[in-house]
Parts: sequence; C-alpha cells; structure tokens
Amino acid sequence: MEQLLVPTLCTIERIVQETPDIRTYRLKFKEETLMERFSWLPGQFVEFSLAGSGECTFCIASSATRKGYFDCSIKRAGVVTADIHNDLDEGDSVGIRGPYGNWFPLEDLKAKNLLFIGGGIGLAPLRSLIQYAIDHRNEYKEFSILYGARTSADLCYKEEIEEWKANKSLKVILTIDKPEDTWNENVGVVPKILEEVVKPVVQNTKVITCGPPIMIKYTLLALDRLGFAPKDVITTLEMKMQCGLGKCGRCNIGSTYVCKDGPVFTYEQLKKLPDEF
Amino acid sequence: MILSSNTNSNEMNLTTYITDPAGLEQFYSAVIGAYETYGPVETFGKFEFRKITSLAGCNPDPPILSSMSVKALFFPRSAKVLRYRTTSSGTELSDTAEDPLAGKRVILGVRHCDARALEVLDRVYKWDYIDTDYLNRRANTVLISTRCDQAAAHCFCTSLDYDVEHLDALDVAIVRGTDGKIYLQARTEKGEQFLKQHPPGPADAAGTSAEQLRKQYVTFENSFRLKMNYKEINGQMQNKFESPAFEEASSTCISCNTCAFVCPTCHCFKISDERIRDEGVRYKSYDSCNNIYFTLMAGGHNPRPVKYRRWRQRAMHKFVYYKERFDLNLCVGCGKCTVSCPVNISIFEVANRVAASMQ
Repeated sequence: MEQLLVPTLCTIERIVQETPDIRTYRLKFKEETLMERFSWLPGQFVEFSLAGSGECTFCIASSATRKGYFDCSIKRAGVVTADIHNDLDEGDSVGIRGPYGNWFPLEDLKAKNLLFIGGGIGLAPLRSLIQYAIDHRNEYKEFSILYGARTSADLCYKEEIEEWKANKSLKVILTIDKPEDTWNENVGVVPKILEEVVKPVVQNTKVITCGPPIMIKYTLLALDRLGFAPKDVITTLEMKMQCGLGKCGRCNIGSTYVCKDGPVFTYEQLKKLPDEF
Repeated sequence: MILSSNTNSNEMNLTTYITDPAGLEQFYSAVIGAYETYGPVETFGKFEFRKITSLAGCNPDPPILSSMSVKALFFPRSAKVLRYRTTSSGTELSDTAEDPLAGKRVILGVRHCDARALEVLDRVYKWDYIDTDYLNRRANTVLISTRCDQAAAHCFCTSLDYDVEHLDALDVAIVRGTDGKIYLQARTEKGEQFLKQHPPGPADAAGTSAEQLRKQYVTFENSFRLKMNYKEINGQMQNKFESPAFEEASSTCISCNTCAFVCPTCHCFKISDERIRDEGVRYKSYDSCNNIYFTLMAGGHNPRPVKYRRWRQRAMHKFVYYKERFDLNLCVGCGKCTVSCPVNISIFEVANRVAASMQ
C-alpha cells in the first residue's frame, strides 16, 4: 500500500489566474515517456501533493485528447490549497498520483444531445468532458453549456469560453447572480435560467452537471420539473478523499466508495445511497 | 449448531498433534528459537504484540480482552510512505527503507477473533488495488494460538457469522483438553506444513482427540453472556438509517477514537506530512470515522458534522455496509472497543438498540 501512495513528480508548465481565488495549473510529468503513457478519461481525478503540506484530490480539468499536459483547477479553500496558491510558481514540481475513479459514461452519451450545467469551480470536471466532446463533435447531437457564477469575475476559463462561444456548433449560456454594469448576458441563479431561458429539450438529452451543493439541489429540482429522468442526469461528487484507492474509508457513502465507484454518478444512482450528503 | 467432531480437519487432511503442558512449552521455545517470533508482552496491564526471543516476559495465552489487536503487525499504526527534500533545483522524493514487517515470522497468542479480523481485512486489501505489503505480511506469517476456553464479559464472537468449529483463521489452534492433554490442530495448509516440521508430540492418527475437542467447543459456546442473532440485526439495521437510537446511543461518546484504534478490523487511515525545514516524511496512520475532521472538506463543508452521524457511520459500516460490499461483517465481536471505551459504550448494545428502535 505504501508504494501505491508514492506520487510521481510533475512540473508546473503554466499557471492561469482564472478568478480571484481559482488558478489552473498546467502539469507535465518530468519524465516524458510517463507523460505519453499517462492516459485518463473525462471525470477521473488525481491526488495532487505539495511536499510538506499534503495531498488534495482534484479532478483533471482537461481532456486527454489535448496531448502533452493535463490541467488541475484549484480553488483556494483550505490549508493545502492555500499553500498551493502561495508557494507554487511556474517551473516548480508537485507530486501526482492517479488517474483514479470512474469517468463519464461516454458510450451512453453518444448520439445524444448534451446539456452541461456548471456553477463556479464546478465547471472544472465538466471541462474535461466538454473538450473531449468538442474533439469528437460528430458523435453528439445538440451541445449546450449553461454556466453560472456569483459575479462575472468568478467565471472560470474566460478565454476558453470565448472560443466555445465562437464555435457555431455549441450553444453557450452564461449567467451571474446579480446585475453588473458591463454584463450583457443572463442574470439569475443557474436553476432559474435553466427553466426560464434554456428550456432544454428533454427527448434524447443527457444532462451533465456539477457545482456547489446549493446549485445542485435546485438544479435537480428544476430538471425534475422539466421532465428529465434521474438516469439521464449525471453528476460528479465532491467528497473528502485521501487514498483514492478504495482503502482509507474516508469517501464511503453506505457501501459505496466514491473514489472507486464514483466520482461520476447518475442522479438515479445517487438516490439509492443513504441520504448523507 | 451441530457439533459433529472435527470433520473439517479430516476433510482437509489436517493433522492434530497431542502433547502436554511441558511439551507445549518446549514447542513454543523451539518456535521462538527458529523464527522471528512475536507474542503478547505485558505493558501497563495490557498485552501488546512485541518481538520476543524467549518465553520470559511473554504470555502466549493472555487473559482474553486484555491484549491489543494484532492488526498493527499487518497494518502499522504509522507507516512511512516517502521522504522528500526541497532544494533550489526542485523537489526530490525517495522511498522509505524496507518494510520491517515483511519477513517470515510466527505470531503466538493471537486470539481467534483477532485472527478472524485479518480474514475480514483481507477482503478490502485484495479488492481492486492490491495492497501487496499487507498481503506479503499475511503470507509470511504463521498464526499460532490457544483456543479460548471461556468467553469474557464483552465477547460475542460466536454471534457473528462464525461457526464455533471454524478456526481456519489460525494456522495452528491449541486446545486444552479436559483430560489434561494439549491438542495442537493444524487449521490451514500453512499450519500443517509448520507442524510437520516442528511436531509438538505424536500425531493423533486414530482421531481420538475428536471427543475432547468437541467437549471443549461445547463448554466454550455455553460460556457466552452476550448473544445476538446477527442475521436479524443486520436485516433490521438496514432500514434504520434515520433511527433516533444513534443519537441516544452515542450521546456520551467523547470522540476519543480509542475504539477504532483498538478495533482489529477498523482500517481507515489518513495521509499526513511532517516537515522540518526543507525535509520531511509522509506518513500513513490510523484514523477514525469518529473523528470530526474525518470528512471535513476544504471550505468547511462537513457531511458528518455532528456526533451521531459519525457514530451512525461507525455502526452501519460494522454491521451493514461492509457486509453488503465484502460479504463479511466488519465486527468480529471481540469486545476490545467496549472494554477500552472511557464512557462504556458497547457496540453490541448500540447495534441491538438501533435494530430494535423505531425508524
């Protein structure tokens, strides 16, 4: 077990300040052959460690179809993430273990309309799948992204969102909680915009959502009202994890190991779990 | 329960040897002389498994319940994962020294409940990612122990999915006959090979020991104060997630985590770094779901912020979840948590209380 917990060194190639408290770290394995062999599917996560501070679980925020690197978007939230923000610069090394966990059900998504609903840092795990789906665009039908944040400054991946907006085969709907002078897009919380503006087609559509618990709660209610079946709503859970290997017991919900059986679940699967989260 | 002599052993072609107390002592000494041996050594009134070089100071048949679990010899309290150094040119990682628990070894005085707990742990360590360190330690260890004659106050091992004659968790089971003789039963192939190399006395070729062993089983089984119908408890607990009994039963808990540390099956761990200037070590150490920090996430969200929810996880994991996942109960009924609890919470009582409660 101890061997399985030893990370591999990666170099930080680039740091992007996404929002006042979120940064994206572009990582590359020090050994090039490792980078070539490192493969993952959208939805999987890594254990990211900063020697001396500890390890944290982050989803991989980019798709393996974009070769030669992987991204982790990290919000300053606790002890380790604060150290990551304060201490790490481009060129520094960090430890990585993974990829771990399951992934979005890629087969089930084929030939479907995809509706992504993200809030704040919750866009990070979706971005991996969004990039993957853009790179396999002809396998999917309609493609929409509804993304919201508290303020316009809190929207992640601003540059990439501009690219998505420029891509005629995607529909991008942005929203912020309160009006701002220079904001020309939607104003209102995500579930409200979903019902009042997006009004998605239910037939043949899969919804992939991630965001803060309060957004998820009301989004699920809205999706239910719109007529989506729980099996067509897919989310990825955020849970305290440590080993990522189905051993340390931290991420258990009932007999489910979120790190092995998840983090990706359909709403139908989540409903069967003990109501702990 | 039907007690039909020791048919298991006969079917598996496992041998029973007959000796007397003096012969047993000689056997112990021979084993200690030939192998790296661990046994229960008394420290401050508790027995802990330590490396021994002679029988002096070691009691291979300590009072039930006063020994620490043997799990620390398979799943160490704190294990070094790696060392690291930060220099001006970056971070260097290095593996730690070799596993001190990896060698061939014999452990004496492991109570059967404690040995069964290892069978329970095998399931989680063999599942998906394989914990090779743990499995090597298991494969390289021979467990030899005296069979309990009499249950202690908080024992309820026979209530939990366990056939009183099934002693295969031990490699060699030592039974004290009422006739004054000592019977050493090989219970596994590993034990059979071991006893063949170190015969403690004549083999019981005629099977005359069967009657003695049977008597011992009956006496032992009749000595239990605590009994539960586990199947019923398991069934009832399955839909008691919202039971108020969790709150009642855990109200006096002081969240000291002692129960998890003494428990032979608790296996939750944490990974933490210890740094002094530019160098440090990463450790994997015991943790407990009763710890308020166990599920606390960065940013402050905690799905188990109150004590009863943490206790619910503990009790449900023991009696429902693990069984659901790995088909064995995560409690072996050893009673260690109950005797060590500073506020006298009994897991036996909690399970019964929850099972009997209204949803």
